[in-house]
Amino acid sequence: MNEREMIKIENLQKSYGSLHVLKDINMSVYESEVVCLVGASGSGKSTLLRCLNFLEKRQGGRISIRGEEINPDTHNINNVRQSVGMVFQHFNLFPHKTVLENVIEAPTMVKKIPKDQAIAEAKELLQKVGLEDKANVYPSKLSGGQKQRVAIARSLAMRPDIMLFDEPTSALDPQLVGEVLTAMKELADEGMTMVVVTHEMGFAREVADWIVFMDDGKIIERNRPNEFFDHPKEQRTKEFLQATMLK
Amino acid sequence: MPSFSHFLHTFINSKDLFIDAALLTLKLTVVSILIGILFGLFFALLKISRIKVLEYISNAYVFLVRGTPLIVQIFILYFGFSGIFLIPDFWAAALALAFHNGAYIAEIFRGTIQSIDKGQMEAARSLGMTRILAMRRIILPQAFKRALPPLGNQFIIGLKDSSLAAFISMNELFNVSTTLGSNNFDEMTYLLIVAVYYLVLVAVLTMLVSLFEKRLAVSDR
Repeated sequence: MNEREMIKIENLQKSYGSLHVLKDINMSVYESEVVCLVGASGSGKSTLLRCLNFLEKRQGGRISIRGEEINPDTHNINNVRQSVGMVFQHFNLFPHKTVLENVIEAPTMVKKIPKDQAIAEAKELLQKVGLEDKANVYPSKLSGGQKQRVAIARSLAMRPDIMLFDEPTSALDPQLVGEVLTAMKELADEGMTMVVVTHEMGFAREVADWIVFMDDGKIIERNRPNEFFDHPKEQRTKEFLQATMLK
Repeated sequence: MPSFSHFLHTFINSKDLFIDAALLTLKLTVVSILIGILFGLFFALLKISRIKVLEYISNAYVFLVRGTPLIVQIFILYFGFSGIFLIPDFWAAALALAFHNGAYIAEIFRGTIQSIDKGQMEAARSLGMTRILAMRRIILPQAFKRALPPLGNQFIIGLKDSSLAAFISMNELFNVSTTLGSNNFDEMTYLLIVAVYYLVLVAVLTMLVSLFEKRLAVSDR
């Protein structure tokens, strides 16, 4: 495994008013690694992910992307974001644009890639997620699973080095979860560096290089998947796993 | 009440004058709403700019317009400013109406912009778009679409409000009807006639707005 450090989080602090949601988080993600963030709702895992894309302002600590410390006040965040893709729980496709227009929007408007080239690349990406026949359809016509695959293609169109997934299957009907996880697994197999907030323990076990378990704004355990699920170190991890398996 | 045949007779005889007046009313309304949309968009953007001074300016504008009668605003522009620099009657009326409608349109736009799911802005920003680019490409087109029904409503209100331009002697519908009415000692007939013209204009506008809405609804189907 390549040892290039893609994300480094040091002493990250985040609070909303008096509510302390991230308490001194330290974590690194190396190139081509897949890290799954798991934990109960309200444990801070989504907030942590959103901090990585600077959608949330942190109150303390450092975040470095590809070895460069990013200060949102002095750095051009828009440049950083181009190399960090994000997929949201609720897809957030642009409803007034067709699937193809969704995918080419950022490449043409932000990267100023010529439109024909952007379209050609978009069609390739849509083919990759199995939606080439939906290119000219508006998002309202798609199922949840299709929407999320378009959202993945839209993020990939910016050629990011890192992909962040914020509960990408939580808003989906159970029978649509598989198609999205398959697309994500393919991406992982291609060597994409990924941080995934998820409740899909099967996916985490199969695809993740590391599982990071969070509770009450802190990282409780960081472990390899097999160890994490079969021999968890921490008592709170055991309790969490028990509660999850009972569901 | 005039008899129906008298009404019809007068209606037909006065049609040339009224059609000219209707065209002026329409021109006044369209110009003032279009400029009002620009005012409205500008002040709506000031209001959501997150810059306190600009927010205050926008709030003051809306407060002034909503807090004073339109006729006062028209008179201030017509009598007040025409002493300082010459404004043609049409533009005095059009600008006063635009200034007035702009405040209401600003509130319409602010509401529809804020009604767009915040995930849209986040998705756009996460793709590397600046706030301004995301606003222009992602938020505003959706906000415009949502603004269409209330804008259509404002258009109709603006059309009827333009009758106040009669008081600065614009020969629009209302002025023509009262002038003809008093000249012929037949106010009621001409008022009924002008009501018909307003109704027809509003009906046509309503149809156009709903047609436009349907065309813009493609992505919802």
